[in-house]
Amino acid sequence: MTDDESDGDGPSTGSVRATYDRIAEHFSKTREYPWPEVEAFLDGRSGAVALDVGCGNGRHTELLAERCERALGADLSREMVATASERSAERGFDYGLAQADASSLPVRSGCVDLGVYVATLPHLPSRDLRVASLDELARVLSSGGRALVGVWSTEHDRFDESEGFDTTVEWTLPGGESVDRFYHIYDPDEFRADIAESGLDLVEFEISSGNCYGVVRPES
Amino acid sequence: MKGDLLDIVCCPLDKHDLELDATEREDGEIVTGTLTCTECGEVYPIEDGIPNLLPPDMRDEAPA
Repeated sequence: MTDDESDGDGPSTGSVRATYDRIAEHFSKTREYPWPEVEAFLDGRSGAVALDVGCGNGRHTELLAERCERALGADLSREMVATASERSAERGFDYGLAQADASSLPVRSGCVDLGVYVATLPHLPSRDLRVASLDELARVLSSGGRALVGVWSTEHDRFDESEGFDTTVEWTLPGGESVDRFYHIYDPDEFRADIAESGLDLVEFEISSGNCYGVVRPES
Repeated sequence: MKGDLLDIVCCPLDKHDLELDATEREDGEIVTGTLTCTECGEVYPIEDGIPNLLPPDMRDEAPA
């Protein structure tokens, strides 16, 4: 880690970015389809402006672009944003893209009607940054805006732990090389607590396929 | 990027407006240029049509 200040002993945001820059092309190919929980959240919803935080290859940004007048996909990794750019051009989707940090969003306050923030929050390397990113989501949502926050959780079959913990999960590239990715695996109570700590209100909560999902709105 | 993205994006640091300076356009989209914060003066690059709106201390290329 040479490019970024690390929080104590934990991994840095820079290392997560470096990992995704490196695995972007292969990762994108394995992330073809949107998650059913995201489709269910978006069903019947629309708005003027949509935001996908941690958009990866844009598979969920595409759904937002179909439902809202305008959509923006944001991702920390330059290479992931590049895959989204290629994919949207190939598929004829029209949405904006930016390289951005979830805990300091370059998005105007109160302008987002519909947000998706899935499979990204666990990559932020400290609780302070994770709560800061939820505060940022609260800031950018419009008064009637809603977002779906989804995180990998201890409810998943692969984890024995019952309390949230930090770990690294390997991504295996074609050819066999492995690249580590930092994750904070949430337990459900902790997920609720982090949302409560932020400027968001939890409107709905569910556990599905080992993930915690929360529909959130800005604190009233 | 399209110029109307400026209605949505802002400076990641102080959330103020950004001013566009396009140096290369193609089919109405900005391919290369900069976005400058009207408040703090921080300059954010646009390359290959994608604005880099990371806070400046995160902007340097990540190690390979």
